[in-house]
Amino acid sequence: MGRLFVAAVLLFVAGCSGGGSAVPGGSKIDALLAKAPVYTGQVTPGSAVDRIKKRGRLLIGGSQDAPLLSQLDPVTGELTGFDAYLGKLLAHYLVGKADTEVLSATSETREPLLANGTVDVIIQTYTITPQRAERVSFAGPYYESGQAIAVRKGTSGIAKPADLAGKTVIVGANTPGVKAVRDAAPTAKIVEFGSDPECLTALKQGRGEAYVQDQAILVADASKDSELQLVGEPFTEDPYGIGIKHGDAEFTKVVNDWLREIGKSGVWQDVWKQTIGTVVTGDAPAPPAIAS
Amino acid sequence: MSLVLEGFLNTIALTLLSFAGAVIVGLLVAVLRIVPVPLLRGVGTVYVEVWRNIPLLAWLVLFVFGLPEVGLKMPLFWTAFTAIALYEAAFVAEALRSGVNSVASGQGEAARALGLSFRQSLRHVILPQAGRRVVQPLANIAIALTMATALAGVVGVVDMTRAAQRINLELAQPLLVFTGAGLCYLVLAAGIGFGARVLERRLA
Repeated sequence: MGRLFVAAVLLFVAGCSGGGSAVPGGSKIDALLAKAPVYTGQVTPGSAVDRIKKRGRLLIGGSQDAPLLSQLDPVTGELTGFDAYLGKLLAHYLVGKADTEVLSATSETREPLLANGTVDVIIQTYTITPQRAERVSFAGPYYESGQAIAVRKGTSGIAKPADLAGKTVIVGANTPGVKAVRDAAPTAKIVEFGSDPECLTALKQGRGEAYVQDQAILVADASKDSELQLVGEPFTEDPYGIGIKHGDAEFTKVVNDWLREIGKSGVWQDVWKQTIGTVVTGDAPAPPAIAS
Repeated sequence: MSLVLEGFLNTIALTLLSFAGAVIVGLLVAVLRIVPVPLLRGVGTVYVEVWRNIPLLAWLVLFVFGLPEVGLKMPLFWTAFTAIALYEAAFVAEALRSGVNSVASGQGEAARALGLSFRQSLRHVILPQAGRRVVQPLANIAIALTMATALAGVVGVVDMTRAAQRINLELAQPLLVFTGAGLCYLVLAAGIGFGARVLERRLA
């Protein structure tokens, strides 16, 4: 018993200590990297690209607990998902190897982390909004997402967002879903839980009548859980952008050029297939048009 | 704006109610820990060691997601209240017990020599002296409890911290929003500290 416990603790510590991984394990990312482009343009001394190249590693503000997007694989210690792979590809583009360090960011810390230079970029389902665009620069959008509704199988009376009015709705804490529900049904009572599994448990335990979350995550949940039922199509458009220090037009352009390049060469679509495409049926969508 | 008010009022309600609950339960546990019956003392010790040695966040998650599994489902606010009150009761009990222990044993012996029963000696000799000594430790616990209510936001209660997070999600001005929320907590905690000083002077 005691030995088991020690083993469990050691495993846990080992899982936690994988901060920077110079050699990304797993064949998925290796296959992607083989096709990935590398930056060949000019490097202005003192610019963001110069700084990152000299450091030899890209510092990313992101998550470790977002399924399909950026989730730490407890077995390999590798960060997997759409956002995570894009981060590695961007590092590969800038420094020639997929050397990234992902610092856990939250919706409270994203803007300060960029402003004080703790991270180079934020890749964290960071929805581009006019208010945020006043404090950070956005490259992209790199992904077009939407909030969708899920209910317990057999629930009646919820067929569209407006039906949420007056109901208790479970939403992931600090996700775009909070605002989406308030806009679609101002009288809905919003209950927030920190993670997707908690939200799911709360829905099944009857803490709310519906659960609003990013469609890709809901599709993934429903594929594993027969009690869950999706209602209709996504009812919002959330363009995710890559957050960059406010006013750094040069670096924003570099990242935008990279996004265009991987969109054109099919790498973006490959990343989608490896991640979100494993639960969403059909072909990869066209990457969103880059704003500027 | 209504969101700010809702969060602020929920934090105040959660603080006052949980502290009241913690004092009542803590008083019972403290009595268990000082009565001259080994079995009851054991029960009191187990309560304190179990409750205070598991993080409050773990208790909250267990209560919110665990209790419905065994068929006990309360509204989120009252679930959070129960967990916080029972958790902080362990600290209250220890503060009260050390207050009682701080009264010289001669006092109790003298009370018994005068023919007072255990209950009478507690009521008239020990507790009045212990009372003023535990005011500041209890104020410390009350302030810690105020801050701990922020954890209720993790399990769905819209407290001040959760409200601040929601507002920040739109404004993207974390420094401003959280400084504001911090000032609200400061006012609450300063109020508790002030109340404790007044109470201490009264009892002295």
